Amino acid sequence: MSETSSEEARRIAQGARDRVHFEEEALALADQVYRVARGVSRSKEEAEDLMQETYARAFRSWASFTPGTNLRAWLLRILTNLNIDRGRRQQRTPDQQPLEEGDYFLYNRLEATSGETDEERILDRLSQDHVAEALAAVPHDFRDVLVLVDIGEFTYAEAAQILDIPIGTVMSRLHRGRRILKQQLAELALEAK
Amino acid sequence: MSEIDPCDWCEEVLQPYLDRDLDATDVQKVKHHLAECSWCEKRFTFESDFRRLVRQAVIEPMEPELKAKLAALRLEL
Repeated sequence: MSETSSEEARRIAQGARDRVHFEEEALALADQVYRVARGVSRSKEEAEDLMQETYARAFRSWASFTPGTNLRAWLLRILTNLNIDRGRRQQRTPDQQPLEEGDYFLYNRLEATSGETDEERILDRLSQDHVAEALAAVPHDFRDVLVLVDIGEFTYAEAAQILDIPIGTVMSRLHRGRRILKQQLAELALEAK
Repeated sequence: MSEIDPCDWCEEVLQPYLDRDLDATDVQKVKHHLAECSWCEKRFTFESDFRRLVRQAVIEPMEPELKAKLAALRLEL
């Protein structure tokens, strides 16, 4: 074997090791990535499809990942872009936009309708099904940010990087998204009463 | 210019405070206000529990089959 070909062989072997390492790290993050996938999808099936597309693309373009940077954020950037591309998003027209209430709207409504003053008991009136249903009703632009920050526990800066939007936009969408979520929940909780 | 009402101010910064995205000076001001204002403190407790509820509501573990499908997407060596 010549010098150059053994050099070449070493390079290929190293590349394969790096790739396997990358794939293993990406798979180890799958549970966390799934949480976001489920949050931005309307059904479990949709979330599963989105996960497979995300991982297929991630494995194909592994070489564009810079080692030492945030792999979870990199994967979620692929996922949110795919979700936008696939047009899996709820159609939204301005008149379907839910009315927006203040930050304390939900608390105030629940408190006013129950006469209950203990915060924990007030929260008991909301079921997890209510929350999931209300979240699904939040328009997608707001929901993506909400899911990344509240469920994925990303900082504003990381969410901005993943969605490729300015940090100020993350903050305003989060702010409005939470208010819309609370409004939806208040309606569901009061209907159920 | 009129002084901003401390409870209005607290409502305005409570979300970034809960997100840990508020600067240190304001964090101290919020803590100080919450310690002395039970109206805001109640709402703070509710908001903080509410976030936990949202986080738990959508946590649904991934099916093992999906995990296997993802692993199968790995490129061949």
